[in-house]
Formats: sequence, C-alpha cells, structure tokens
Amino acid sequence: MSEISAPTKPGRWRQLAASPGGRAFLALLLVFLVGVLGNADGAFFKIGTHRDALRQASVYGILACGLTLVIISGGIDLSVGSVLALVAVGGAKMAIHWGWSGWLVVPAGLGIGAICGGLAGWITARLRVQPFIATLALMVLARGAAKYASGGMKISTAVKNEAGGYGYVDVPALFRAVDARILGGNLSMVTVIFLTCLALAWLVLAKHRWGRQLYAIGGNEEASRLSGVPVVWAKVGAYVASGIFAGVAGLCQAAQEQQGDPEAGVGYELTAIAMVVIGGTSLMGGRGGMGLTLLGVLTIGYLDKILSINAVPEAGRLMLTGVIIVVAVLTQRRKRS
Amino acid sequence: MKPNTASLLTLALLGCGTIFWNGCSDSTSSSTGGSAKSDPKERGFTIGMSQCNLGEPWRVQMNEDVRNAAAKRPNLKVVFKDAQNDTLKQRSHVEEFISSKVDLLLISPKEAQPLTEPVTKAMEAGIPVIVLDRALLGDKFTCFIGANNKKIGKAAGEWVVKSLGGHGNVVELMGLQTSTPGQDRHSGFLEGIAESEIKIIFSADMKWLEPDARKEMESALSRFDKIDLVYGHNDPGAHGAYLAAKAAGRTGIKFVGIDALPQEGVAYVNQGILDATLQYPTGGAEAIDAALKILKGESVPKEIVLGTRLFEKSNVARGGEELK
Repeated sequence: MSEISAPTKPGRWRQLAASPGGRAFLALLLVFLVGVLGNADGAFFKIGTHRDALRQASVYGILACGLTLVIISGGIDLSVGSVLALVAVGGAKMAIHWGWSGWLVVPAGLGIGAICGGLAGWITARLRVQPFIATLALMVLARGAAKYASGGMKISTAVKNEAGGYGYVDVPALFRAVDARILGGNLSMVTVIFLTCLALAWLVLAKHRWGRQLYAIGGNEEASRLSGVPVVWAKVGAYVASGIFAGVAGLCQAAQEQQGDPEAGVGYELTAIAMVVIGGTSLMGGRGGMGLTLLGVLTIGYLDKILSINAVPEAGRLMLTGVIIVVAVLTQRRKRS
Repeated sequence: MKPNTASLLTLALLGCGTIFWNGCSDSTSSSTGGSAKSDPKERGFTIGMSQCNLGEPWRVQMNEDVRNAAAKRPNLKVVFKDAQNDTLKQRSHVEEFISSKVDLLLISPKEAQPLTEPVTKAMEAGIPVIVLDRALLGDKFTCFIGANNKKIGKAAGEWVVKSLGGHGNVVELMGLQTSTPGQDRHSGFLEGIAESEIKIIFSADMKWLEPDARKEMESALSRFDKIDLVYGHNDPGAHGAYLAAKAAGRTGIKFVGIDALPQEGVAYVNQGILDATLQYPTGGAEAIDAALKILKGESVPKEIVLGTRLFEKSNVARGGEELK
C-alpha cells in the first residue's frame, strides 16, 4: 500500500492517517488549530487554561478508562455516571458527616464502585443479559440509591443539627488533597489521578494476559471460549474495573464540588463513550487501546474548553460539538480489506 | 445446578432492589402517615400534595416547608406524591387525589398545558386547588402562590450596583437559558443594573449545574484579570465560581447567588463563601396558611406573589432581611 512509497511530505501524512492513532491525533491537532485561531485574546496560550482544560476533562477521562476495557471486550457500560453519583454521595457522607479518614473513605468508595460493576458484569456475563440492558438497569438503580442515601439533598459541609439549624464542618483533608494543585499550581491533582488510572488500564490492556483476553473476547467471543479463555471472569473483571474507575471519578467529583450531589454525573457516560469512540476504539469490540482513549479525552476536553473561553452560546456549542464528533468518527472509519 | 442458584440469587437481588425502590417512593408519598381515604368521622383535613420532581433540592425544601407548616396544625394530614419530572405521572397523581377525595389539592405542576385539564376536573369535583410556583392556563384553580424571578433578578442587580458603588466588571453565570427562571433572572438583573456603569464582561449558560459553573468561571478567570463580582443564577453556580477563583488564588471578587436554601445559599453566606444570596421562596408555608383559610371557608386572593429575602454577612444571623 502507500506506506511503502517514498517519505515525501504527503506520504508521511498519509502514513499518519493510515493508523487509528494517527487519525485520532489529526483530530486533536484540528481542535488545537481551532483553539489557536479562536484564542480568546490570548487566553488559549496561558498555562492556566490548559491546566483547567485537563482538570475539567479528568473526571470524564477516568470514566473513559474503565469504559475502554468494557468496550474492547465487546460490551458497554451505561451505569458509570450513576455509580459516580452514588460514590460521590457515599464518599461525602463518610468523609464529611461521619468524619472518616481518607484511608477508609477511598477503599470504601472504590468498594461501592466495584460492587456495582460486579453486579453489572455478573448479570451480563453469567446470566447473558445484553450489556446495554443490564447496565441501563444499573444506571437507574444506582441513581435511585444515590438519591435514597442522600435524602434528595446534597451532602455538604452544612450539617443539620438537632435544633433544626445548620452547623458547619471543615472540608475533609481527603477532598482538599484531591482538589489540590502540584508543580507550582500548574497541574491539578485530579489530572494526575486520571493519568494514573490511564497508566493502570494501559498496563492491563497492553501487557497483561487479561488484557489480551479482553481483545480476544471482543473480537470473537465464541472462538475465545473454545480456545480456553475464561470468558465470564474476564468480562466480569472488565465491568468491576469500570465500576472502580467510576468510584475514583465519583470521589474526584465530590472533592471538587466539596459535596456529594445525587444529581452529579448525569449524562457523563455518553461523553465518556464519545471520548473512547473518537479515539478510535471500536464499539464492536476487539480493537482499540488506552493511547487512543487519551487522544479522544484530550480532543473533547479541549474542544469544550475552547468553546468555553470564547463564551460561545450553548446552542452553538452543542451543534459544533456534534459536528466535530461526526467528523472525527468519519475520519476513524477505515476500509476493511 | 450452578446457573440456577445464580439466577435465583439475581432475582432475589433485583427483588430487593425493587422493594427498596418502592420503599423510597412510598416513604415520600405517605410520610405524614396513612392513606388519603381517612375516616370522615374524626374530621381532620387531608391535603394532597403533587410535586413535579424531587430531584431538585429546592423542591425537596418545598415539601419540607409544607410538611413543617402542616405539622404545626392539628388534624391536618398531607399526602405527598412525587411525579419524578414526568408530566403524565403527575397527571395520574392528580386523578388519584380526586378519586380518593382529598379535601384540598396542592400542586406544583411540571408544565401548564397538560396539567390544566386534570386540575380543572378536581375543581369540578369540588376540591379546591392551590397552585404553587408554576402557573397553569386559564383560571380554574382557587389560588396561585409563586415568586417572581424577574423581581428577584432585579433585586440582585440593585444589590450589585450598591455594593460595587455603581461600576465594575461582572461575570454572569446563567441558569438554563431555555427555562423561564433562567431568562427572567437574566433580564431582571439587566434591569437592575441598567442605570449604572456595571459591565457584564463574560456570561455563560451553566445550566444550573455547579461543575459547569466552575468550568465557565475558570474560562472567565483566564480571560480577564479584573473581575469584581460573579452573579450566579443559583447558589450552587456562585459556589462553583467561588471554588474556581479560590483555586486560582484570585481575591477581591464578590459572589452573589439566588435561592437561599438553608443548607446551600444561606450556609454559604454564613461560611463567608458568598457575599449575598436572594431567596427564591418555596411558598410551602404560605400554601398551608392559604389552605387552612380555604378549608375554613374564608376567602383568599386568587394570586399571592411572594416577596424575597436578602441574606448577607450582616444580617444572616438574624435570618435575612425582607425586600419589598
């Protein structure tokens, strides 16, 4: 094919456009170009803008890490936004109302996420309910549980006392630590958490046997089963991982809002799925990777930030985002040989 | 054998889930006890309260206000139903209240058009109706109680003019601009600052959501070095902006919000996070007052427009100050 042609400039571009990673990179470059052109009086060139864009994208990015594992195995997880809210409410309750230390809140929060993911994975893999339906049910169930646990109110530092008034407690140290900045205030801690999640998921997918099993299952589940892949366990594991990542995202969300909001994360699953797909991971399963997801997260995250610093009205934002997603996905489509 | 135990367990789990689920909605619908069909001999009054959506803290507060006001009166029972933001569900709730013959119907409708007819049927069945917050079409109800977002937006604008001395740079974080409250809080604010030299240098639709408000505020901060005040269309919006400014190490910015729920806006003013918040009253307590008058056969005005209260550092301990 054209890869063999002499490395002239157009040849190199074609080479770049031939791999999914290259195409996702081109989409990101396009968004950056939009940012340079619409730089909002130079705001786009300030380091703070980039720190904020990355901070804003991090919670979605953490969800996208788990979703990548599930999607590569040929599944889908619609429950992540609701699980995020449930863990945000639970985490806020433990950290603010009950005064638990971070060393307890984090494992407990991730445990809630793991249980939710395990439930979804088990219903999907063991009982063979379609993942769309199983995780849709869990999405509703977890949202209800979040509302129930919070009594419909945000769990904030204003705590109701017996007299019916409100007393105030400090923002827990865990929340302060997660919402902090490092490197002279130029990098948000949540971004570090996102990158850590990304690295862990990359290790699993690229280096571990379990990761290879997920690719195999996504490619052809029946063939994998026949060749001895523990399909059920590998799939349940992917949903558990997705639930745990949603738990991480929930704690990050609560820390940044300094409260647990039962309405948090509505619609986040769709943004996170869009990030995974724009990167080039196939919704049919079997193809994709964490590097691609990183590119997808950056593409949508930066697009959002650029529209925001330019104060583009909401209607325009939605239409532009829709157009860019379509363009990015179209460039991802490749002819099957 | 194995798959059987597995599926049984799942069924059991799902069953638990359903019971748990129903448990939640039951607890909201009968929290003041019993069904609507009470014994007419021990004559108390039963009020049916149809809430359109308990997903918003403000509406949870409205129910709370109704509940607290009703608890102070003997022989008054309120049955709550939550339509979970579903118009047709609310419609059937109204029909259920009619068939269970409540003495009075309190409704905070989700939308006007589809709920006007069911409410008319209640009136025809001889049940007086108090409409809260959002209006219905026509005049087939006993009494409407609501606040005026435009007035409150204007009051916010006037407070901003006063506290900035008539000039300054303002960031406006707007509620959903396809919703009437969002539009009114914006146009009212413009009216309030019309005569001054206050400039809105950045405005964005944060859709009532705190994370979005924080994101938009970060953009405003990276674009403008001098911001004097942030006007959020709700308190969570102003709070999100405060967190963004604090994280950026920017000081000297004032924050104003609207709604003044006890655990949100008022708490934020108490904690020194917001400089001011204006109450958007729920009307829950006023509704019970009006309901009792109606049930005793006294007359009430067709429309009761609620005032607002200003909460700021100097008066928050006293419970705010009423604005006329």
